Amino acid sequence: MRFKETGLLGVLLALGLVLTISGGSLQVRDSNTGTVHTVNKFLRADNLDILAKNTSFFAIMAIGATFVIITGGIDLSVGAVYCLAAVCGAMFLHHFGPRGEGAGASPWLVVPGAILVCVGAGMLCGLINGLGVVLLRVHPFVITLGTMAIYRGVAFVMTKAQAFTAFPPQFTDGLIRYKIMWGDTNLYPVPLIIMLGVTVFAVWFLKHAVNGRYIFAVGGNEQAALFSGLPVKAIKLKVYAFSGMTAGIAAMIMLGYYGSASSDAGKGYELDVIAAAVVGGASLAGGRGTALGALLGALIIQMIGNGIVILNIDQNYSQIVIGAVIVLAVLLDRINSTLREKRLARAAQSARLSRQDET
Amino acid sequence: MTPLHILRVLGLAGLATLFATGCGKSTNQPDSQTSAKSGTKSEYTFALVAKSQSNPVFQAARVGAEDAAAGLSKKLGVKITVLWRTPNEDDAQKQVEYIEQLVLQGADGISVSCSEAETLAPAINRAVDQGVAVMCFDSDAPASKRFCYHGTDDIECGHIIMRELAAVLGPGKHVVAIPGGNQNARNLQNRIKGALDEAANYPNITIRGVYYSKEVPQDAAARIEEVQTANPDIDGWGMIGSWSLFTDALLKWEPGKVKIVAMDALPAELPYLTKGVVQKLYAQQTYRWGERSVELLADKVILGKNPANVMDYSELPPVTKDDVQQYEQNWKKWLRQ
Repeated sequence: MRFKETGLLGVLLALGLVLTISGGSLQVRDSNTGTVHTVNKFLRADNLDILAKNTSFFAIMAIGATFVIITGGIDLSVGAVYCLAAVCGAMFLHHFGPRGEGAGASPWLVVPGAILVCVGAGMLCGLINGLGVVLLRVHPFVITLGTMAIYRGVAFVMTKAQAFTAFPPQFTDGLIRYKIMWGDTNLYPVPLIIMLGVTVFAVWFLKHAVNGRYIFAVGGNEQAALFSGLPVKAIKLKVYAFSGMTAGIAAMIMLGYYGSASSDAGKGYELDVIAAAVVGGASLAGGRGTALGALLGALIIQMIGNGIVILNIDQNYSQIVIGAVIVLAVLLDRINSTLREKRLARAAQSARLSRQDET
Repeated sequence: MTPLHILRVLGLAGLATLFATGCGKSTNQPDSQTSAKSGTKSEYTFALVAKSQSNPVFQAARVGAEDAAAGLSKKLGVKITVLWRTPNEDDAQKQVEYIEQLVLQGADGISVSCSEAETLAPAINRAVDQGVAVMCFDSDAPASKRFCYHGTDDIECGHIIMRELAAVLGPGKHVVAIPGGNQNARNLQNRIKGALDEAANYPNITIRGVYYSKEVPQDAAARIEEVQTANPDIDGWGMIGSWSLFTDALLKWEPGKVKIVAMDALPAELPYLTKGVVQKLYAQQTYRWGERSVELLADKVILGKNPANVMDYSELPPVTKDDVQQYEQNWKKWLRQ
């Protein structure tokens, strides 16, 4: 593991420790046996399960955003893509739901169909963003700012301000909200599993796939990458499509878990997603960022929100606390980076000196 | 004189003409209003400026306003047109822009649901000063020159929700939480105040907290799940705003284990009643918001009548399991489905 992520992991563990100790405990009655037992408010299965589920949407999108940020771009439309993908999926699922015209269709068609609609819609939106960036040669900030409004507008027109509900249970309870028992506690592990799956793929891709290394090359120095013969345009196109795809995956989880979608879904998520990527170590200048960092960044932000509830901090102060801890986390991370660079510099200097001594 | 000079003179003359026409129009506006009040006009334009396009309660208000306009047009023998000017999302600044545009377009009356009363009040006052009748619905701007407010009595609504929750919870010690929605919305703050004041009458009820979130269903549901998990001793929710019930995430809660009394009776909320997860809903008369707005504006502008009460409160009827079918039918009409 790189030192970078160890620093974030340290922040995460410190936060967890503070919440475990300061959050205190509470008494819970076992619904089966009726016995009362004491549990830690933070460090218990159902709270961690909810924390993982709440993190999953942002972490998955932050991984996509990190890919874009590594190339030196930005995707402001990620919240709107999430919304549009969710709305498309919701309309599809509503159609085949118990109150829809297609009720009774085989779940073997409906469930994969819904996944395909969500992920496909997200990917298509991302592809349009990529085409805008590559073909129009306009700064991604401007392109994605425009598409953000367009996608949200399309979602609004499609839904006519209606929330779509009543989805086939095979998609909700049977898949995304699939329940397992942990003692007498219900846990919903699917969002966590999908999040880990996306992270593992992204970590492998960025580290070991040739195209993954190209992404860093484009972000590090686009001109140099171009002159080295790298297909810069194709790489950018794929990166934006991937970002859209991750928004589609997050939308799919949201649909399955909450069982509804409307045109205000994902409002303001773009900032949370970019914040998670940046806390996770992605450099807005390009050339730097990791998928694991994005996951940890999203987890830190969600953990702060969870901590505010656990510690019963007045909700009016929540935004201040969240903002302050984000700044603190980034600051600690920067200190870590500086120390690492100094250590490396010292090591290089001592190596030089030892070589000089040898000669 | 060179051609350039001639062009400049012509340009200046054109500008002067435009300026004079503009001034003339502005001075004529009060006359047009006067004639409106005396009933000599045959066409009237009223506008609804709601908080957000994406909230179905405002779509119902829009249908109510359009239905009322059609009915009153026949009854009064005039043509009443309803304009719908509502931002996609809560945005007080955008609402101000819409009001300003409507005044310029010559609207006769405006009914507005204020996202932020303080931001809207100066725009409302300017519109009234220019002779446009302005009222508020759903969310009031009491410090403005609006001629009346129609909607829920928010403080009383908070009292009702908490009183009913106390009744549903029964005797014994209880811990209750309140979802707060947007911290800046005056109507929600009033409901919270009402609920907290009412809770003070029940020494057996402890309020664990008011939990704010975005007024987006998934975000609100996520917050409630988080709070309930962190505080399993909470056995009652006084939902002065029911955004979380627009998802089906809380349907998995064991019916009756945690008692819920909530606002509104939107289509997505009705399954909660059927399943017994929510004990009672209180339905705001959202279709009536629009209908009554047009009635009050027509009285004021066409008939020159002021409302009997400046605060024209609407009913807040309870909705139980038995009323689910009735409300499903109502929504089909209100949303023109």
